[in-house]
Amino acid sequence: MRHLLAAATLGLALAAPASATTYAIDPTHTFVTYEIGHFGTSTNRGRFDKKEGTVQFDRAAKTGKVEISFDLNAISTGVAMLDKHLQSADFFDTAKHPNARFVGDKFSFSGDKVTQVAGTLTMLGKTAPVTLKANNFNCYINPMLRREVCGGDFQTTLKRSQWGMNWGLESGVPDEVRLLIQVEAIKQ
Amino acid sequence: MKALALCLLAWAAHRAPRAEPVIYRLDPEHSFVWFEVLHFGTSTLRGRFGGLQGYVELDRSAQSGFVSLQLKPAGVDTGLPAFDARLRESDLLASEAWPVATFTASRFHFEGADVNAVHGQLTLRGISQPLELRALRFGCHVHPQLQREACGGDFEGELNRADFGASFGMPFVANQVRLRVQVEGIRQP
Repeated sequence: MRHLLAAATLGLALAAPASATTYAIDPTHTFVTYEIGHFGTSTNRGRFDKKEGTVQFDRAAKTGKVEISFDLNAISTGVAMLDKHLQSADFFDTAKHPNARFVGDKFSFSGDKVTQVAGTLTMLGKTAPVTLKANNFNCYINPMLRREVCGGDFQTTLKRSQWGMNWGLESGVPDEVRLLIQVEAIKQ
Repeated sequence: MKALALCLLAWAAHRAPRAEPVIYRLDPEHSFVWFEVLHFGTSTLRGRFGGLQGYVELDRSAQSGFVSLQLKPAGVDTGLPAFDARLRESDLLASEAWPVATFTASRFHFEGADVNAVHGQLTLRGISQPLELRALRFGCHVHPQLQREACGGDFEGELNRADFGASFGMPFVANQVRLRVQVEGIRQP
């Protein structure tokens, strides 16, 4: 009986696909900062402070899936009036669309490091493709958590008009917006 | 039509020969210092300092300038109140003992009429060290509400925080800190 159980267990273990490990987004080390030009002079920056999400990541199989959503009411530029304007119907229209959501399921690797993640970004009720390129990627054992943490710095440039965010385009507010993404996720 | 006329007037003033140097007062809505520092060799921590005060004196024909600015490190904003509080402690920003950080510079480098680097002194935690800020871009425009010239740009530079005595958390959090400065100044009458 014991042998039979052992055999069954072994059989199950062999039959199970190499499963991806789940990582939970660490909200204290995950932020998106946007950058947009201001009258060709300086860059206006803002940060999205509330988010949640998970990453399925299989380093051996070189596959992964990330799902992360941002609360757009938690935008922070350091200028309260600008935060309000960005939340209005001119930009994010947070009354109707409180969240932005990124789903990335095409991971590219160089060796065992992620080099880019392609997927879709949904904002203002519209979904369009986005590719995030990694400037850094690394995994380490966090000495406090005693667990593996993987993460990096990613960036992309998108055209806001793709999501119908057209305010100010005619008066010279740029269409191109650069996103700087810091992300770390903790092995579950 | 009136707006257009105002624009043209402001543009004409902007192009006309003028008494130099010109003083620009920092526009706090468009002047921020962000820091960036690598966390566990993995991802970049960022934080923002707002409320910049100060002025820039520019003589674009003589290619000289002077800047003096102040900020309050206690206003650091990373998006995480607990992290902000940790940064204010004595082994990092020490903002209670040293409530003001300053940057002053009188060595301006130009490329044509545009500033492309500024060499000066950063004083943080009561310690002064040289700091070079390089311009990624520099430009001027007419401020649409004030109808006055605004000049500014994006600057960046690096410092080693240990040089200022802010060494907590090394080496897990890197010694080298990149400053990314967005700054605009409004021309004073």
